[in-house]
Amino acid sequence: MNSLPPLIPVAASTMAYQFEYLFWYITIVTTVGGLAVYAGLLYFCVACRRGNTTGSTPRILGSHRLELAWTIIPTIIFFSFFFWGAFVYTKAVHPPEDAMEIFVIGKQWMWKAQYPNGQRVIIGGNPANMTENERKSIGKLVLPNNRPVRITMISEDVIHDFGVPAFRMKMDVLPGRYTTAWYYPTRLGEYHIFCDQYCGTWHSLMVGKIAVVGENEFDEWLNGNAIQQGTENPVDGSVAHKGRELFLKLQCIKCHSADAKAAAPVLESLFGTRVPLKGGGGEFADAEYIKQSILKPRLKVVQGWEPIMPSYEGQVTPEDLDALVAYIRSLKRGTTPNTTEQMKPPVGAPTERSPGGKN
Amino acid sequence: MTTATTVTLKIAPPPPEPAPATPNYLNVDYSLWSWLTTVDHKRIGILYLVSITAFFLAGGIAAGIVRLNLLSPDGAIINEDQYNRAFTAHGVLMLFFFLIPAVPGVLGNFLIPMMIGAKDLAFPKLNLASWYVFMVGAGFGVFAILNGGIDTGWTLYPPYSSRSSTSSVVPGVFGVFISGFSSIMTGLNIMVTVHKMRAPGMTWGRLPLFVWSLYATSLIQLLGTPVIAITTLLLMVERIAGIGIFDPMIGGDPVLFQHLFWFYSHPAVYIMILPGMGVVSEVLTCFSRKNIFGYQAVAWSSMGIAVVGFMLWAHHMFVAGISYYSALLFSFLSMLVAVPSAIKVFNWTGTLYKGSITFQAPMLFALGFVVLFVIGGLTGLFLATLGTDIHLHDTYFVVAHFHFVMVGGMVLGYMAGLHFWWPKMTGRMYSDWWSRVAACIIIVGFFLTFVPQFILGYHGMPRRYPNYPQEFHVYNVMSTAGASVLGFGYLIPVFYFTLSLFYGQKATGNPWSATGLEWQSPSPPPLFNFDEAHMPVVVAGPYEYSLGIDQMGRGLPEGPGLGTSNDPSSKHGETAAPGPMNKETHVVG
Repeated sequence: MNSLPPLIPVAASTMAYQFEYLFWYITIVTTVGGLAVYAGLLYFCVACRRGNTTGSTPRILGSHRLELAWTIIPTIIFFSFFFWGAFVYTKAVHPPEDAMEIFVIGKQWMWKAQYPNGQRVIIGGNPANMTENERKSIGKLVLPNNRPVRITMISEDVIHDFGVPAFRMKMDVLPGRYTTAWYYPTRLGEYHIFCDQYCGTWHSLMVGKIAVVGENEFDEWLNGNAIQQGTENPVDGSVAHKGRELFLKLQCIKCHSADAKAAAPVLESLFGTRVPLKGGGGEFADAEYIKQSILKPRLKVVQGWEPIMPSYEGQVTPEDLDALVAYIRSLKRGTTPNTTEQMKPPVGAPTERSPGGKN
Repeated sequence: MTTATTVTLKIAPPPPEPAPATPNYLNVDYSLWSWLTTVDHKRIGILYLVSITAFFLAGGIAAGIVRLNLLSPDGAIINEDQYNRAFTAHGVLMLFFFLIPAVPGVLGNFLIPMMIGAKDLAFPKLNLASWYVFMVGAGFGVFAILNGGIDTGWTLYPPYSSRSSTSSVVPGVFGVFISGFSSIMTGLNIMVTVHKMRAPGMTWGRLPLFVWSLYATSLIQLLGTPVIAITTLLLMVERIAGIGIFDPMIGGDPVLFQHLFWFYSHPAVYIMILPGMGVVSEVLTCFSRKNIFGYQAVAWSSMGIAVVGFMLWAHHMFVAGISYYSALLFSFLSMLVAVPSAIKVFNWTGTLYKGSITFQAPMLFALGFVVLFVIGGLTGLFLATLGTDIHLHDTYFVVAHFHFVMVGGMVLGYMAGLHFWWPKMTGRMYSDWWSRVAACIIIVGFFLTFVPQFILGYHGMPRRYPNYPQEFHVYNVMSTAGASVLGFGYLIPVFYFTLSLFYGQKATGNPWSATGLEWQSPSPPPLFNFDEAHMPVVVAGPYEYSLGIDQMGRGLPEGPGLGTSNDPSSKHGETAAPGPMNKETHVVG
């Protein structure tokens, strides 16, 4: 069992602060009011107990002045809650014009998100019901710090709710209708995503993570670097992911594999390092060198390897080249695919899952 | 409150203790058949009492399962599917088959005719029919729960309930549909009775506040329940026939369901709480020996709640995809309904001022009601306020809030009423000491259970989660620990009430020295409530404790709480010989 969480939960967005001020205003006002009533009750219960009286009581029928006072004063206080609350709500439901738009799709029982450049990612769901590979594909909703983000949401089946307690924001996710929420994250870190609208068996496991990262890190990640993903593979839909598909499709993997059958250098963590060349000298493995090595592979062969690679000139477009570079750049130690690995369906595509309870 | 005069009133002596009724409504016929075919409002009240006690017990067991399972972040005892069925069973049983019929069905049926000096409700056979209809509806509900259960939550939101759920939604919903008619019948019956059958002199301004609050409740039952009937019907049509009403995949609108559902189910929470408020007005006045402070304000605030309560259903939907402007409107209207509730609380507090207070079990429950209802009402403001509802909606904050109102308010109000009128209903006194202990344990256990849930909700823990992150563990364990205290507290009355039936001291006609007409007949009352030859004639308002007269203008017998052997509620006490109270009344205002 953990120790007690902090009194005030983590606040990670502008809305969170708006909420806290209002929440504590209402808390203090209602506490004072409630305690005043309690004090009255307690005082009367003690001072006017039977043993303290003769048993005879005055005939008090009421007081118009008091009735008026305790009608009008609470009304004014309640309206102050209303107006402040409406002010916060107005901000909360009107995203700024310049907010980046991210689409979120809810389905039983996972969340999928898509970024403006087409990147897609599963940002949460029930790992217990997933295959090993699917589990590896669970990522996070990566958001930039200090930049407004608009979330446009829709559901594929029943009603869900995309709630982020650290942002003090939630909005139902309806089938057949778009709803929006927006955030202006102000604090780096990882936060919960909860499905807040009951949606069936694994409602409580339709949870995920939001990662708020620095702006530079976010841009870097958006360009296909998978470091924030929590998954081994580049995020689906990104340039690097396209490069990975090409890498498999063009059979690069046959030689550039990480196992004993390899007939060519392993490309993991290659980008940016200095490569010793056959016949002396070396070269920085930058985008230019990698592109050149794909198109004219025998020009600069790495020391220790035979020049057996065919030229891919004419087979790959400049876009494909960029994708391959992005993929090689994203390759980390131990992430080279198996030579036997087939092209997988895109991450987030509908996958079959057999229903069944916890055993 | 400026002019104060001291007058010495000449009060008619208290009536002699009425002779025990032979036969009374209980012993006139012991056969089961006589109970099942009775048209006596008192017997029907008892029928309701027995059936809703069973449902309360079943709903309580479901709650116990839910709380036990939450002891562990991954579910301590049952899997997710079973958990979903358990909390749905808890919600459906408690709301539709306990809270809604509790006070109107039991105390309303039993007391409304007696309080207004009538022989029975206006439509005795309709009254019996309402119980049968209720039992048929409950039968469907219980069948659904036993036949695999319902896993939609009591809110039944489509398209989950219409398309996705594989559980027994249709029988469950049909049960709700049917039992709604019972609610309508009871409401209609009470309303007509209050209009047409008041005793001579029982003007609207002399009605006990319990009658006012049940009148307001009946208004909601009459106008609101047909809407839930049509809503559940449409849901069944969609689920059975696949006709698109709520499911967007077949052309429906899921938000439409929420509007229809809450158009009933929000006023329905006032069906649940208003009768409790009525009970509290009766009990607080009796045990503080005071007139109610601001009779008009308390009476009209009941009506205000009933009417305004119809206009704020969409505050359950601030984040459900309704428009910005409608959210503003419904938030504003929700603030309005908080005002009459506040007025009631202030008036109850004012009632205690300069009283002469004793703390028997009904009073402890009534005070507990006020204490818990204050918290329940004030936390409602967080949810009516748009800016805070965005975060707190669908979290444990909401769960804690409505349990403070429904359990802290309604159940304690019901318990107060049951303890207050138990001597009248059964003719027996229960254990004074044990009942006070039970009241204290229930109130303390309630706090321990639900205060941690406010913190959980503030930290964002969603409702209906059998699995939750580690950081919520501590508060969930605290809440479950509190729930065990609460559950223990509920068990105690089962024992002393049962024992009282066999071993309890015989109750006098008016053991609490209360003013209402229901106390003017022997306990338990005769078949037609009052002596046929001397039907009551009302000459005074309902709470003339300071004058020491009942509603028929006669003196009150010595009340309880002097701590002497004269205290009828003490274990070995005897009822005091009736005699005029020494009364120097201080008339203010």
